[in-house]
Amino acid sequence: MASPIIQATGIEKYYGTYRALSNITLSVANGEFLALVGPSGCGKTSLLKILAGFEDLSGGSLIIDGQDMAGMPASARPTRMVFQKLALFPHKTVAQNIGFPLHLAKRPKSEIDTAVRRMLELMHLKESYLNRYPHELSGGEQQRVALARSMISQPPVLLLDEPMSALDAKLKKSLQAELKHLHRHVGTSFVHVTHDLEEAMMLADRICVMRAGKIVQIGEPSEIYYRPADAFVAGFIGDTNLLPAKITRAGEGFEFSCDILQCSAPRLGADQVAAGVAAGADALLMIRPEMLRLLAPGESADCTLAGTVSEYFIRGASIQYRITVADTEIVMDVPGTSVLPAKQGDAVQLGLSLSDLFAVEA
Amino acid sequence: MAEMQKSWRDGALRLSTLPLLVLMGLFFVIPLIMTALLSFQGTQYYRLVWTWDLNVWTDVFSQIHYWKIMWRTLTMALVCTLLCTVLAIPIAYGMLHRLSRWSDQITLLMVFAFLTDAVLKTFGWVLFLDRSGVLNGTLESIGFPPAAVNVLFSPNATMIGMVYNLLPYTIFTTALSMARIDRDLVLAARDAGATRLRAFVEVTLPLAKPGIWAGAVLVFVLSLGVFLEPKVMGGGTSPLAAELIRQSFETRVNWPLGAALTLVLIVIGAAVLAVAGALAFWQARRGSND
Repeated sequence: MASPIIQATGIEKYYGTYRALSNITLSVANGEFLALVGPSGCGKTSLLKILAGFEDLSGGSLIIDGQDMAGMPASARPTRMVFQKLALFPHKTVAQNIGFPLHLAKRPKSEIDTAVRRMLELMHLKESYLNRYPHELSGGEQQRVALARSMISQPPVLLLDEPMSALDAKLKKSLQAELKHLHRHVGTSFVHVTHDLEEAMMLADRICVMRAGKIVQIGEPSEIYYRPADAFVAGFIGDTNLLPAKITRAGEGFEFSCDILQCSAPRLGADQVAAGVAAGADALLMIRPEMLRLLAPGESADCTLAGTVSEYFIRGASIQYRITVADTEIVMDVPGTSVLPAKQGDAVQLGLSLSDLFAVEA
Repeated sequence: MAEMQKSWRDGALRLSTLPLLVLMGLFFVIPLIMTALLSFQGTQYYRLVWTWDLNVWTDVFSQIHYWKIMWRTLTMALVCTLLCTVLAIPIAYGMLHRLSRWSDQITLLMVFAFLTDAVLKTFGWVLFLDRSGVLNGTLESIGFPPAAVNVLFSPNATMIGMVYNLLPYTIFTTALSMARIDRDLVLAARDAGATRLRAFVEVTLPLAKPGIWAGAVLVFVLSLGVFLEPKVMGGGTSPLAAELIRQSFETRVNWPLGAALTLVLIVIGAAVLAVAGALAFWQARRGSND
């Protein structure tokens, strides 16, 4: 791998005495799609503004595209931003909006015109839009114009600040797919801030989970989903069952005991326990809803749970069950079928493979 | 347009505009008509005579003196409008962005100054600018010759007074317009490669245009009617139209002449505004077709 396009080392950001970012060290490879996720106020937007040059660093260093960003204004940086509210210029036409970065760079009119038309095609926008004003376009079209404006000068890094948060679910889905396609097509590095984990998993090569100004975990989507660093990451991403358990070391791996779970051989591999878990301490066993399945009478599994159905939701592709197991509510997703496998109040047996279990610090 | 046509057919809506119509009719349209009618009468022995002739108008159009004053009034008003508009832009911008921490205090001080009686403020300027006033005294104490600044009782002093008294209008309208601009738009321009100045020219200025125009129109209309500043600070040596009209009514007790001169001033003001409006409209049209 060549040298990273973004290299942030020990970044600190204070607003007065409030520490918004502490010791952020992060690198983004050339052409990578990185998602920054976390709850509101976790510092992900502050970090993006620091990358864009809208905020100063309080400490640490930032190198983008081989240049030190210290003291470099946003206008001189090799980054372009797509704003949350898009920030299209209302007094400029679509063509003027898209061509604005080239217009500022004093490029010849014919060159700007060609580039604008090329972006229009790339973004699947109609040519008749060129002389319209942003407010005359739909939300999705405005989104594409904003993307086109930030991509036209082919920046090495594109920063996206939750640009899809205002769109309705269906439009969001189709634009997400387009964004992913665009990323493959242009080879620019994307840093995408979002609070929508599903979006991050769908789009990103790597996900950086933040909380309270710190990076909690950086990894590929599957790593974040199946091997979360702690209970916060596990709970932040999708529905999760976290069952209290005791973990003890046993040879290469671990043994565990959990009141709710009946296992014939309660063992975990060395890679099934998160880094922070101390042997002999309390831990939480993470079970994703889709890892559970309904057992037919007489059928067996590595681990089993017995409970009663308290509620179910038909969600099309899947059916979600809420099952009460000894005062604990367990969430289970099973593939959708036309014949409901269990109804409210039914006593059910749930099965689970040992290899799906993962333990995090309590 | 369709909405407007529809609303005019709405009886309840028409009824609800009645108070305003009555008010405007009683205190604007009817006085204006009376002024127009008055200009066709004559005076004898300081008394109004209902003669219904064009004597006053013949007088107005044959005396170059009136037109010189009208011309001076118009140029002073245009210069004052230009100065107030241009000065307000950096002041409003600075207040909102560079001195945003003190923005409330600055606004408060400006409102105080704005609401203080104009007579008081104008005499304050006289005390400040007088040959033996505060400014010259201070300058003398640091080594300047006596009466270094000798501006009082000249058209320039009138202009200082006019700009001082009318500047708040343009500052407030411009600042209001600028404050409504989404900060992200300026950041987007900076992000796209614009320097601070370029971002200001490309984004802030065009988006603040409505407020800048509104302020300019307000100041122009108000500056056509100034009488205090030419009298107090200009020393009455070069009176403007309002002073001429006041004299016609009060000193010469020639109401028909005063009415005619009033109409001339109104027509000049309206014509300038119409031309400016047409220019702005034409420019906007051209901009959108570009």
